[in-house]
Amino acid sequence: MNTASRQVTDFFSSVAPFEGLDSDMLTTLARRAVGLYLTDTNADDLTSRYRQHLFVIQSGQFVIHEADEPVRHVSEGACFGYAMLLDGVSYPLRVEVNEPGLVYCIDEVQFSELLEVSTVANFFQRLGDDELQQQAVTRSESVWLYRSLSEVVQRAPVMVNEQATIVEAARVMTENGVSSLLVTCGEAVVGVVTDRDLRSRVVAREVDVGQPIATIMTRSPVVISEQDTLFDTLATMSERNIHHLPVVDTATGKPVGMVTVTDIIRQQRGNVLFIIGELAKADCLYTLTRAAWQLPHYFATHARRPGDVDIIGRVLSQATDMITRKLISFFEQANGPAPMPFSWLVFGSQARQDQTLGSDQDNGLLLADTPTDTQADYFQSMGTYVCEGLAKCGIKRCTGNIMASNPALRLSLDAAVKDAQGWVSEPASTAIMHCNIFLDVRTVAGDLDLFETLQRRRAPLFRQRLFLAALARHASEAAVPLSLFRRFVCEKDAQGRDVIDLKVRGVAIINNIVRLYALAEGLTMPSTLSRLKRLSGQSELSLRDRDNLRDIWLFLNRLRWRHQLQNNLTDNKVPLSELSAIEKHQLKAAFRAIEIAQEGAVMAFSGGMR
Amino acid sequence: MNIWSRCCKWFSANVPAQWRNRLWQDVPLLAVDLELTSLNANTCGIVSAGWVAGQGGDIQLASASHRVVNTPSPLKQSPVIHGLTDRQVAEGAPLEEVLQSLLPYARTHMWVMHHSTLDWGALNRAFERCNIAIPGVVVLDTLDLMVYYLKKRYQMVPHDAVSLAGCRQQLGLPDAPAHNALEDAIATLQVWYALFEQLNGRNFMQVDDFLHTRAIKYKKIGRK
Repeated sequence: MNTASRQVTDFFSSVAPFEGLDSDMLTTLARRAVGLYLTDTNADDLTSRYRQHLFVIQSGQFVIHEADEPVRHVSEGACFGYAMLLDGVSYPLRVEVNEPGLVYCIDEVQFSELLEVSTVANFFQRLGDDELQQQAVTRSESVWLYRSLSEVVQRAPVMVNEQATIVEAARVMTENGVSSLLVTCGEAVVGVVTDRDLRSRVVAREVDVGQPIATIMTRSPVVISEQDTLFDTLATMSERNIHHLPVVDTATGKPVGMVTVTDIIRQQRGNVLFIIGELAKADCLYTLTRAAWQLPHYFATHARRPGDVDIIGRVLSQATDMITRKLISFFEQANGPAPMPFSWLVFGSQARQDQTLGSDQDNGLLLADTPTDTQADYFQSMGTYVCEGLAKCGIKRCTGNIMASNPALRLSLDAAVKDAQGWVSEPASTAIMHCNIFLDVRTVAGDLDLFETLQRRRAPLFRQRLFLAALARHASEAAVPLSLFRRFVCEKDAQGRDVIDLKVRGVAIINNIVRLYALAEGLTMPSTLSRLKRLSGQSELSLRDRDNLRDIWLFLNRLRWRHQLQNNLTDNKVPLSELSAIEKHQLKAAFRAIEIAQEGAVMAFSGGMR
Repeated sequence: MNIWSRCCKWFSANVPAQWRNRLWQDVPLLAVDLELTSLNANTCGIVSAGWVAGQGGDIQLASASHRVVNTPSPLKQSPVIHGLTDRQVAEGAPLEEVLQSLLPYARTHMWVMHHSTLDWGALNRAFERCNIAIPGVVVLDTLDLMVYYLKKRYQMVPHDAVSLAGCRQQLGLPDAPAHNALEDAIATLQVWYALFEQLNGRNFMQVDDFLHTRAIKYKKIGRK
């Protein structure tokens, strides 16, 4: 029997989709694979010697011409040759070698054995489609840890000994305000009694309440370990159709508490509404800041489900809106009402409702008229007060000084329209940069009509082709972090790790592209996802591309949120080491798709000129 | 005959003609590596042996073999390097059995070794001790070839550039776990393929075309 080489098993265990294989399968793989050192001069010979094999690249850079597909530039971690194995057709395969390197090949028999593993089968199925699909998003769900019961169940178990009478048990439940009770014998759980049992097994049958509780309890109840997650709890509850589950210590079996359907609902929804409620009730800056500071903590402890992450941005933005309104009302209480109609505008991520914990404030004031000196002083004080208040609530001051405390951001309606005309007539790159921030805009307080007038007056300006062409060129300037050979182009963080800024290199690029198509149709809503949803059938962005961009946008956001929450950070520089092999693979596909969308935007709006 | 081919002939005097005219793509290779009890070629014992076959750019992992030898020589400080313990060694195969598994390759394969002088001394004495006679073996030494390549390219040999790990780094090969006989054998074969490429080797070239590097030698072992 031959020996499996460590370096080969190590390699396979680090590369998608083989990373999840058990060690027996990895060993078999390493025993039966063939290693190749592919060079320009031996590539033809070796690929025909190992025809009908799957090739997996360990090092080197190659250009693959397979079947009629477009050429692919590939490097470490990529596979080729699977098309003919999947389709059972002998396609022509030619490999051009840009940099020689090590490649492993796996024969047909072994490949078909591997396909019996569902993750492997799914992976190649998807590669075959050559498209980033919904799976990118659904797959990233599984990386989210569900909260374990030990974190959720905090209350000591309410219990009685099985010798207790029914009436004693009912009293204990009433005193503790619980709807269910554990019945124990020694230290073990022997039964459960619920409100419903007392109704249907005691009152309805007129049972003597002096009898021991053991006569009416549910014996040997289903229990759950405190190591299990809320997800397990839900699964068990729905499977058994029960609403109360005793929680026991994994090792000793001793009861540690009870988890009920209500607990789960509270975990899902309760707390964020509670915090929002606190914000709404706040009557001074102190109570407001105290409530606001609970938000990051809430997200960090509760947002374990991917669906949560998709809405956290919205929740955070809505909370910021609410804080802003509160601050304005505090200011008006102290300084009297505003001397003229105004709109409080928010830009960027708050406007798009995709704020993260690291987002800084971007806001401004729109005034109905050019203010007099006294009026200007009033709005200056308001801007300063609100921006400082937001900073105290944990929303960082804007480094680019895009804040209402800055006089340049307190414009009258006419001046704002004039500004927009300036951007459109001379779309220089600083102007474009401003646009990108100011074009995602909402109003959160003040006079709504004033803001709508501004939007109405600016809309035709933003639809001008030359302006859109300039925006498209600008959107294509930011490069996705992939080299020609589809390797990640990384930055280094302070610890010397390879990191990618998912905001600058991904999310922001999608935002820019989507904004472009939205402006072309005169859509004014700022959120990227709702823009994608509202684009008409005539849009040059096809329905399929829209769905792809949406999935990618969600995927990238989930990754950066996970990074922020798990590490208690507020930056978007995600280290590659935090990603699984499959996520890396999906990330590459995502960046590639963004790149294609960039090219598409340039084609659509500036006639292909960059 | 010009002076160059004369030189080549001198370098290659030992390599039998049936090897010299073969095309590289037809030459079966066997990368061999040993872990030893010490670095003294005259006294060291073999702790483990690893080998893998390949040809024309491939590495046939199905032939990969790693054998621990029940050596009578004391391990001394060597476990620090190869990580094998007295107990694993005690459970190892008898030296003779391991040598017998290598024997069939002597006739058919060109052996690829990194720093063959040391491993060779050990093998030579082992074959002698077990009284096994085999014909000479053609050995390709990747360390010698690396020295040739570096001198040719940089007119010097940088410090630490010719260790197996150093070679891999220079040649852009990924890191591999070191000091396991099989891992090192695989690593050595990869180094040969990469060097072959760097030296503009082609599969249709003959063994002869590489003799001037002085990295290919004909070694005789186990002969009384």
